[in-house]
Amino acid sequence: MKQLQNILEILIFPSGLFLIVLGLAYNWIDRKLVARYQNRIGPRWFQPAADLFKLLANEEIVPDGVNPFLFTALPMVGLAGALTAALYVPIGGVAAYSYSGDLIVTIFLLSLLTICLGLAGSITIDRFSLIGAVRTLTQLFCYEAPFLLALLGPAIVAGSWRISDIIAYASGHTWLFITQPIGFVIAMIGLMGKLELPPFDAPEAETEIVAGPLTEYSGRGLALFWLGKAIELVIGLTLIATFFLGGMSNLLVFFAKTIGLLLILAGLQSLFARLRIDQVVGLWWRYGAILVLAQFLVMIVWKGVF
Amino acid sequence: MATTEKQDRFIVPIGPQHPALKEPEHFEFTVDGEIVTAATARLGYAHRGIEKGSENRTWIQDLYLFERVCGICSHIHSMTYSRGVEKLAGVTVPPRAKSIRLLAAELERIHSHMLWFGVAAHEAGFDTLFMYIWRDREVVMDLLETLSGNRVNYSVNLLGGVKVDVTPEQVDAIRHGMDKLEKRNKHYLKVVTTDKSFLNRTRGIGIITKEQAKILGTVGPTARASGVEREIRVNAPYGAYKDYPANIILDPTGDLEARFVVRIKEVLESCRLIRETLDGLPEGELTTRMPRRIKAGETISRTEAPRGELFYYIKSNGTDKPERIHVRTPTICNMSSVLVTSVGHQLADIPMILVGIDPCFSCNDRMVVLRHSHGDTEEWTWERLRQHGIEFYR
Repeated sequence: MKQLQNILEILIFPSGLFLIVLGLAYNWIDRKLVARYQNRIGPRWFQPAADLFKLLANEEIVPDGVNPFLFTALPMVGLAGALTAALYVPIGGVAAYSYSGDLIVTIFLLSLLTICLGLAGSITIDRFSLIGAVRTLTQLFCYEAPFLLALLGPAIVAGSWRISDIIAYASGHTWLFITQPIGFVIAMIGLMGKLELPPFDAPEAETEIVAGPLTEYSGRGLALFWLGKAIELVIGLTLIATFFLGGMSNLLVFFAKTIGLLLILAGLQSLFARLRIDQVVGLWWRYGAILVLAQFLVMIVWKGVF
Repeated sequence: MATTEKQDRFIVPIGPQHPALKEPEHFEFTVDGEIVTAATARLGYAHRGIEKGSENRTWIQDLYLFERVCGICSHIHSMTYSRGVEKLAGVTVPPRAKSIRLLAAELERIHSHMLWFGVAAHEAGFDTLFMYIWRDREVVMDLLETLSGNRVNYSVNLLGGVKVDVTPEQVDAIRHGMDKLEKRNKHYLKVVTTDKSFLNRTRGIGIITKEQAKILGTVGPTARASGVEREIRVNAPYGAYKDYPANIILDPTGDLEARFVVRIKEVLESCRLIRETLDGLPEGELTTRMPRRIKAGETISRTEAPRGELFYYIKSNGTDKPERIHVRTPTICNMSSVLVTSVGHQLADIPMILVGIDPCFSCNDRMVVLRHSHGDTEEWTWERLRQHGIEFYR
């Protein structure tokens, strides 16, 4: 019975199928919101699903000069990383698994997709892919440390690296986005960088390098990468909502908080012009990292004094 | 391919098929990391043989042919052509026709500049601005449709006059549209000069100094954004511009921001010109009689197209067909400035610099030049080109 429940948890709810459907739904909400902010009508509700099935049905072209095994395996590894990360995050209110230190595991599993993306770009001989891969990895080195530090803020005040402990702390205290505003902002912007959303879309800047690392991908590989990103959006929003917006108890709270965050995220996406990759590096290391470190200092001193 | 064969240069090809370009043209940017170290262009993908084609058509048929040189500034081409032919035939166009030509030309300038503005915002990755501008551009597109019945090739001109009249209702509609456009463009002027994230991509980028702009022979808003006083409407007023003088818009900085500012201010200036023209619209005939055969002779006709100086050379041998017509479009004059300014910039700035001159590639494609592997170039004559075309499609 316990085994059956475990299998159901992985395949149906809260991971697996539920997560994929959620990823598509949130992708649609994001696209629709950005469209409305831009005074467009936006896609219909089934558009992400239609995109996914169409891409899955398309022929996958393996270009000359790549290692075919890596080329087909990388999207799967990336998607698997995102799906595994979801096991420890309270999607829909409850996490499937929990152990001490699962926060660190989750954050690194989330980065797996970006690393796979970078590798996928660099194994091809396409010039747009190569430049895109360099930019993807550069961006990874920019946002990764501040993003990690921002999420460690709640962990430090909760005194645990276990996500369920942090949830318990967050729901019992003042919402952390009030006590740790810098961490909240950095985490939000870090998520945008992670997902390569505008204005951090230099790695896949259409007008410069076509589709960046994904230029050579078609069919299944493209669909899996795309799905992986859609799922990462859900995981990232859940993490931030859980940590900074006072925990996560049931499905209703989950939807209210994550969609609320998505509203802000979509607004940020439509507000700015694309940053150049050097500007991204400057932004993160000149402001992001230093601000989040300053907040850390305040937190540690505060914790020591009181 | 860079990794398969040993190469010390990493070349990023842009075009002929690339999302940054809306038309086929090939550019090769040699990059060192993200910095561009050299740039070359290969033009000629959209060569259509219009100049040669015009020699087999009558003067009247050619009017429609030249309207199709450019899809964005179609009116200015047929207007420049008509003005040249009318000069050769010694015909004076009635004043009302002149005013309507100015009206269409200025509406077209607004439409062209706003189209460019949207595309340039998209190149900077600022899609929200792009969508808003193109929404507002519909206002002027609708006005052009009300005026002429068409959104793209308005076909307002005839040899010796214009085809369409402006009714009082249309005058009201245009005035109303101008109010809206003026308001929106003033807002956009504020956006491009104050929005921090947009200024990051435009201020101090792609600078063409005044000297460079003169030497490279840039024209139009590109030259004026570098402080060069080149504006045919002001330097050599033609048609109704003699009665309704245009003001020259200059910006000495020469960077991308200046190119935005100059174009938006020109839209505002066009709004003013359109209002003045509507206020003083003369009554009278729309056309005069044109002879079918044009007297032998040659002439030039210059106008200020939205992208810069448009130049027509027209030669007649006294028959009903022209002997030679040469068209020089502004893009070809500005193209070299892209190649010069892009060196030293980041790859991310290249689409912006490229689009900064408002390129219209199909207008500038002239003649195919082949580069052989042993280095020398060879020009294709018309006969050879024609033969190639026949064999290609056989």
